[in-house]
Amino acid sequence: MSYLAYVVAAYAVFAAVLLWDFVAPRIRIAQVLRAARLLARREAARGQAREQELKR
Amino acid sequence: MSNMHPVVRWFHQLGSPPYFDRFAARWAPWAFAAGLATMAVGLYGALFVVPPDYQQGDSFRILYIHVPSAWMSLAMFALMAVYGAIALIWRIKLCEILAMACAPIGAAFTAITLATGSIWGKPMWGTWWDWDPRLTSQLVLLFLYFGVIGLYAAIEDRRAGARAASLLAIVGVVMLPIIRYSVVWWNSLHQGQTIRVFGESSMDASMLPPLIWMVVGTKFWAIGSLLARARADNLAREAGKDWVRRLAGGGAA
Repeated sequence: MSYLAYVVAAYAVFAAVLLWDFVAPRIRIAQVLRAARLLARREAARGQAREQELKR
Repeated sequence: MSNMHPVVRWFHQLGSPPYFDRFAARWAPWAFAAGLATMAVGLYGALFVVPPDYQQGDSFRILYIHVPSAWMSLAMFALMAVYGAIALIWRIKLCEILAMACAPIGAAFTAITLATGSIWGKPMWGTWWDWDPRLTSQLVLLFLYFGVIGLYAAIEDRRAGARAASLLAIVGVVMLPIIRYSVVWWNSLHQGQTIRVFGESSMDASMLPPLIWMVVGTKFWAIGSLLARARADNLAREAGKDWVRRLAGGGAA
């Protein structure tokens, strides 16, 4: 194949950018869900602490 | 709701954030898979079936990713402006989200267009870059995408940010005919229109099928990406809500 290096470079750019396009929203979704999970856990712990305080 | 046309009812349901989340989570993988499968057929044809060009040798194979990406770069901008206009006029939250989700996808395809064009230009034109009307206008398109992404990110109120960025997207539509006709209006180093949707293309018919596969494949891919990105933004906006906590596995507070 002539100009092989150029063809490979162009297709590699295409693959790399599409890979980023595929991964980026997945990372964002995982971050948002993790933050929601942590927030729920923190609030649940705070609620428990308040209940114990009232019992004392 | 009961005497509503099913399509209209579905459209109203789609506007509900939890419903959209389920819809996007369900269909994005299918759209990505369809895009990958279609592009695989196109890439096989582009790299192994189509004979080398009699003048450009094998470097012309770059066209099979360059041209579909260039079309997507324009199509995503137009779609972003349409969603942006709907978001501005009818204040539909889902359209704000979809408009903003278009920007990084369009920017990605614009970057591919510029990079692959540059890589092709080096052996064919003898230069990586030229301040030619087509190349320069495409670069301005990339900056407009960055402007939309940046404006949306810079304004803390997500809805106000989306509306401001949507306005920029609508104004930026003026670039689309400039890019499209730049090779006609100005004496450009970039070649003129080769492939025509209406009328005869100046590309040999045997070279067309992989291009059609790639054009369809990039469309499917963009649908998958649009759903995934819109889902991410939708979840981020609804982060404090019970349904997101349930989805995250944290239980309802």
